[in-house]
Amino acid sequence: MYSPRTTLPYRVEMYRQLKRKRTLFAYLFVMALPVIVSLAVKFGTTGNSTGPTRFGAGTADLIGLATKGAANFTATMFYFATPFLLIAVVALFNGDTVASEASWSTLRYLLAAPVPRARLLLQKLKVSLTLSAVGIILLALTSFSVGALAFGTAPLQTPLGVTMVNSVAIGRLAIVAAYLAITLLVVAAIAFYFSVTTDVPLGAVGGAIGIMILSNILDAITGLGALRNWLPSHFSFSWFDALSSQIDWNQMVRGASYALILSAILTSIAFLRFAKKDVTS
Amino acid sequence: MKKFLASLTALILGGLSIFTGASAHASSKAISVDQRIDGAGGVSLDTTLYLPARLPAPAILLAHGFAGDKSSVAAQAKALALHGYVVLAWTARGFGKSTGEISMDSPDGEVADVSKLIDFLSTRSEVIQQAKGDPVVGIAGDSYGGAVSLLTAGYDHRIDAVSANITWNSLSDALFPQNANDPSYGPYKKFWAGTFFALASLPNAFGGECGTFSAAWCAAFKDAVAGGSPTATDMKLMQASSPASVASEIVAPTLLMQGEADSLFPLNDSLANARAIHSSHPDVPLAMIWHSGGHDGGTDESKRLQKATSDWFDKYLLKKSITFPPFQVTDTNGSISLIDSSVIPKLMQSSSLPTTIPYSEMPIVTPFTALIAPIGGIPGAISSLPGVGSALALAGNLGGVSAAFLPGQSGFLETSALKHPLSIVGPSKIKVKVSSNKSDATLFFSLVVRTASGQTKQPNGIVAPVHLTHLAPAGSLFEIALPAVVLDAAVGDKLAVAISTTDQGYSMPQDGRLYTVAVAGPLHYSNLAFTSSKSNSSLLLWPIAAILIVIASVFFAYLRRPRHNRAPLEESDALVSVSHLSKVYKDGYKAVDGLSFHVKRGQVLGLLGPNGAGKTTTLRMMMGLIYPTEGEISIDGKPIYPGSPTLAELGSFVEGSGFLPHLSGRENLELYWKSIGRDDEPFFDEAVKITDLGNALDKKVRSYSQGMRQRLAIAQAMLGMPDLLVLDEPTNGLDPQQIKAMREVLKNYAKTGRTVIVSSHLLSEVEQTCTHVVLMHRGKLIAFGTMKKILRKTGKKSGSLEEIFIELIGDDLTIGKES
Repeated sequence: MYSPRTTLPYRVEMYRQLKRKRTLFAYLFVMALPVIVSLAVKFGTTGNSTGPTRFGAGTADLIGLATKGAANFTATMFYFATPFLLIAVVALFNGDTVASEASWSTLRYLLAAPVPRARLLLQKLKVSLTLSAVGIILLALTSFSVGALAFGTAPLQTPLGVTMVNSVAIGRLAIVAAYLAITLLVVAAIAFYFSVTTDVPLGAVGGAIGIMILSNILDAITGLGALRNWLPSHFSFSWFDALSSQIDWNQMVRGASYALILSAILTSIAFLRFAKKDVTS
Repeated sequence: MKKFLASLTALILGGLSIFTGASAHASSKAISVDQRIDGAGGVSLDTTLYLPARLPAPAILLAHGFAGDKSSVAAQAKALALHGYVVLAWTARGFGKSTGEISMDSPDGEVADVSKLIDFLSTRSEVIQQAKGDPVVGIAGDSYGGAVSLLTAGYDHRIDAVSANITWNSLSDALFPQNANDPSYGPYKKFWAGTFFALASLPNAFGGECGTFSAAWCAAFKDAVAGGSPTATDMKLMQASSPASVASEIVAPTLLMQGEADSLFPLNDSLANARAIHSSHPDVPLAMIWHSGGHDGGTDESKRLQKATSDWFDKYLLKKSITFPPFQVTDTNGSISLIDSSVIPKLMQSSSLPTTIPYSEMPIVTPFTALIAPIGGIPGAISSLPGVGSALALAGNLGGVSAAFLPGQSGFLETSALKHPLSIVGPSKIKVKVSSNKSDATLFFSLVVRTASGQTKQPNGIVAPVHLTHLAPAGSLFEIALPAVVLDAAVGDKLAVAISTTDQGYSMPQDGRLYTVAVAGPLHYSNLAFTSSKSNSSLLLWPIAAILIVIASVFFAYLRRPRHNRAPLEESDALVSVSHLSKVYKDGYKAVDGLSFHVKRGQVLGLLGPNGAGKTTTLRMMMGLIYPTEGEISIDGKPIYPGSPTLAELGSFVEGSGFLPHLSGRENLELYWKSIGRDDEPFFDEAVKITDLGNALDKKVRSYSQGMRQRLAIAQAMLGMPDLLVLDEPTNGLDPQQIKAMREVLKNYAKTGRTVIVSSHLLSEVEQTCTHVVLMHRGKLIAFGTMKKILRKTGKKSGSLEEIFIELIGDDLTIGKES
């Protein structure tokens, strides 16, 4: 007997994605960042290099801070990964998911099975969001482990001089990861929208990354004023507030709200478009 | 010409008596008039009157800071004039072009001058007068100007509102700060006092060593430098110049602003002023702002403070209804900008003015600390520098020996590690027992945070100096008032009372000493309650909006989803019935046009037509991939549409195979079966037999040839033994033997009572397999019937389908055997 509720179970879709080399490479990519940075810092040239670097200007010498300990290293990795790495990973998982089925023609047979269209997207989205979240968690865990091995487990120390013991710091880092996960929902939604509109997986992934780059550029134009609040990258660094001695939720709550609003609208449009689409690929 | 007109306008407007050298200029809408006005005791004051566009208006007296002149406040004056006030800025006596001697805001000097200025304003028709000789007037100023504002408000009740920034409460307490319950004077704040004396005296040093300072103040300065303590005459002088002496007389609404980065006039000065005014006149409206600036520098918040000042005057001079929080604090420990590493201040507010401080207690675990004061006071600690700020901030936050805490000369009385984060706003106090090898002690106390990683954070480098006398050999008990600070501590941090024996900002004993400071009670710290300045309601607004929009989006998507007629169509014995089916693609291409036919059980139907006849489009609609523009398809009387459950009764192979290339053929079939929501067992062995793949079944699909993929796809379509099997060009890419086998498979499939629809552009293919045929051309039905009927139609004995096709549609097409 056919029952639409049992079509494309989460487990099956997860298996289909996990068997892909792409998934493995994306995770290796994520785990490589902390390893490479720790090696570079550990075995790189010592002493002050000439002039401030992009991350070392002013009093906030982030690379110097990164080597304080595992918690600091993790926070710095989040800082490095926020503007591009995590965006790329989330865009990959969510942009590729439907478009790759279309490119393999498997989409046709799933729809004819039939897997109801909304259900197909829902199951796909559940899995791609899980994979994205795992990417963020993996970054945190790898960073913390690599940081602990390379620099020890000293308490977290922020550029402002706030120090937090590890039990508190890990909680804060978890908040950072959760906040990043929420803001990256926008990237996921953009990529997912592209994924249901095109059957070129690279186009969907690249399109989402391109929009984030554009958003970063527009965000630098202060003349845009309050409009910039709606840019998907505007609040991406607000997680820094979670590392002050008392968490200031203001920016994070706004950032998370904007992210939820934008991603809900984009995802709804994606579902609508896909429901009415003529699948000819 | 313009300038002349402007001054003419000013003349007519005011009928001013302009002294020599007077000039008037218009900037934007505010007109300013320079003139000299007589102060008290024959002093001539250099003033500028700024006039707003609309007159008459309330007046504001704008006083400048120490060593400045009326031009220092020109920008703020213009802004206030544009805002609608008559603003009078003047240069205080002894500075700039005003005559007279500096007497540090004394009642018969600078304060009396301001009364003369009020007299002047009371004669002006541009200024609103509430009684004869009593104009509506507010007064504002920073530091030196702030003190004259408060003092004038105490001496001259014609002042209707005051805004005083970074100013003192008691000049003697500021210059000889004593933060212990000891009757003696505290250590002389030599660095600051010297800096200020030089600032005012040096420019006029040709007139004498004291420049334009009055003789009395010059003598007081010499006493302080020489003796380190003031004489009784000096004390009188300083008290007269202190708002503390007249605070009980202040009845005008007063805004007190004080900087957190201020070692000259620390936050405590504003607290003392507020308390003094409040205790005498509890009804006087008071507000206090602790900002991140101050004499040490800090973070510039002057824009916000000027807005607060103009709001204050709007509220009490213009009687506008403005809600003004009684106590606002800037927390600079909030967060840091990643763009330029600057501190992003956080605004907090309290609903009440801290005229009394609620204290909490925390035990100190370090029992005592022993300290050395070096002979000559060198090396000496540097807690903060005039105009620069905290020495800790200079040294940076990361490691290194701090200039504020020299080894041996400093000690810490620590609490245990905090289990909860703690924010302290306001003063603290502690009881200690101090002993020394001498009978007196000079010490510098501060409240600091010691982090788990060993850093010491001294908020803004503010210390509380004490001078303790008559020490008993076994030690004497004192209560120390620790500086009022804004401080944040995290979990794992320790609070500590830091004690230094030296500080280069102060006069110190020059003989070497040993001190022991023992704890004699818990730390009492201020626990004033604050809320983030952005109220919680607006913070909640965003999540609520987000949730509403999420719900609305989901609802919208649900409402706008495509709907389908789920009612069964009319009864028919046909398994598949296609009626009036049309499809127009988005680009306007009409692929199928009014197609109708039906297929019964056990039939093998050939869907026949040249490329572009609309076969694939028809099959796409049958599979629920595209939406028909018109018409319907049903299986067993149940409608077919995208996502319709009826589709489960149909197995299909259309437009080539679709497999996950990274998985094997077997895994693909297994995953497909698991994905399609069936709970029955697949006919796996039968299907695999058809694929004829053998061992290749366990190889990745990526490595398959087109024929292998095709066979696998047909097996996938038959996996559930559906009632209807739809195959599109199934023999493409198969070799002749496989084609033959495939024909048998299809015939046998139909024999079980199931139905097969095969599309092809190969006529011979259909001829040998099908019982019925649908001929299509350009989206339209050309012929529909049994194979025999179609064959008979031609009347030729050996008539082939090709001939029939050509006959039926003429020469409108060329039919290829293989296209």
